[in-house]
Amino acid sequence: MWRRKLQFSASLLPLGGGATSSPPPPFSNTIKNYPPFISHSSTHNSFFNELNQKRFDFFSWGFKNYRFQLNLLSAQSFCSDSGKFKCWKCNGAAFLFCEACRSVQPIDQSVDYFQILGLEKKYDIEEGSLEGKYKDWQKKLHPDLVHTKSQEEREYAAEQSARVTAAYRTLSDPIARAIYIMKLEGVDVDEEERISDPELLSEIMEIRESVEEARDTQTLNRIQEQMLRELGNWSRFFADAFQSRKYEKALSSIQRMTYYKRAIEEVIKKL
Amino acid sequence: MFRQSLARFLRTATRNNEVSGISTPRFYHERVVDHYNNPRNVGSFDKNDPHVGTGLVGAPACGDVMKLQIKVDENTGKIVDACFKTFGCGSAIASSSVATEWVKGRQMEEVTTIKNTEIAKHLSLPPVKLHCSMLAEDAIKAAVKDYEAKRAKSPGNAEPTLAEKASSA
Repeated sequence: MWRRKLQFSASLLPLGGGATSSPPPPFSNTIKNYPPFISHSSTHNSFFNELNQKRFDFFSWGFKNYRFQLNLLSAQSFCSDSGKFKCWKCNGAAFLFCEACRSVQPIDQSVDYFQILGLEKKYDIEEGSLEGKYKDWQKKLHPDLVHTKSQEEREYAAEQSARVTAAYRTLSDPIARAIYIMKLEGVDVDEEERISDPELLSEIMEIRESVEEARDTQTLNRIQEQMLRELGNWSRFFADAFQSRKYEKALSSIQRMTYYKRAIEEVIKKL
Repeated sequence: MFRQSLARFLRTATRNNEVSGISTPRFYHERVVDHYNNPRNVGSFDKNDPHVGTGLVGAPACGDVMKLQIKVDENTGKIVDACFKTFGCGSAIASSSVATEWVKGRQMEEVTTIKNTEIAKHLSLPPVKLHCSMLAEDAIKAAVKDYEAKRAKSPGNAEPTLAEKASSA
């Protein structure tokens, strides 16, 4: 039923919004369609605007509300599909950035970090693939690129660019990524939790003591290697636990990873 | 007149800036700094010694781990010595250092009543660091509990342990 409603609205759009005189191209094709689309609309835009302004002013209030409702609908039900986000300026398909009118979009909190970086929502990711995507976004969203635009859009750029940075930082760190994906599932890591698990704590105590007592680079390197191995093991353990929705186990893996990471930080300080 | 008042405003503004520049906010109370630089009773006792109770606690989100040990006179129940080893932030180190000072020479019953708020107040810990003092409170309780568990295991000691009393209170 919703699908039908959307189709219906798509046929309405060119009529109602004078500015959107042609139907928005699908997101994936925007780059290809970009020059003809712009030239088409720039030739006809002012003409249509003037013509349609008078005709449709009467309906604009109702239409705007309808469009707003539609945006909500599409954001909720198709948030994985970037083509469903509508540009605030030209109403074309736009995800973070509108390729058609080159404008930065306001932040949509329903979009998560995985979507921003074009990833499937799962813990195991290719960490190396993130940087390219991150840089691509910054080439479009960085506040320096919009300094001649409206105050509104400059704010959008500041927010979007900061959010993309946060997404990149969070997802490229195994622990931060684990905490984040748990949060998306509604499981929060208690920042103030205190534990008294003697097995884990005596292990950590021993590791930290050995770091403290280490006198040569060789020993420190050996400890660091061991910690990295543990970090890798527990990261895999987390992935399994998360996948099978064993959140208690997942949380305890995060604890272990945090402890091993702290030990690595201490080693690095001494190296 | 406008120019004068503007000038006056600017002067006060700069003066205020200077003042706040001089008294940059001190994040830690001098007692924290003192305990951090000269921690009291750092060290370890043999955890297998029957007179020693070991409390091992941690705050995983910050990666902190704290060990507090007590040496108890089995006849009087008095804590004759205490030591700690903490890997964590300045507040956690200071909290455990203070804790060892406070438990030394006191009865085991007394020390289980030490509250984290007292430690926090003594060190003027900021709200974000309150959990460090909670960790120290946990460590004291865990050390007493460990000592009593050891005593209960050793033959000829069947009286109810302090930790049981504390948990029922």
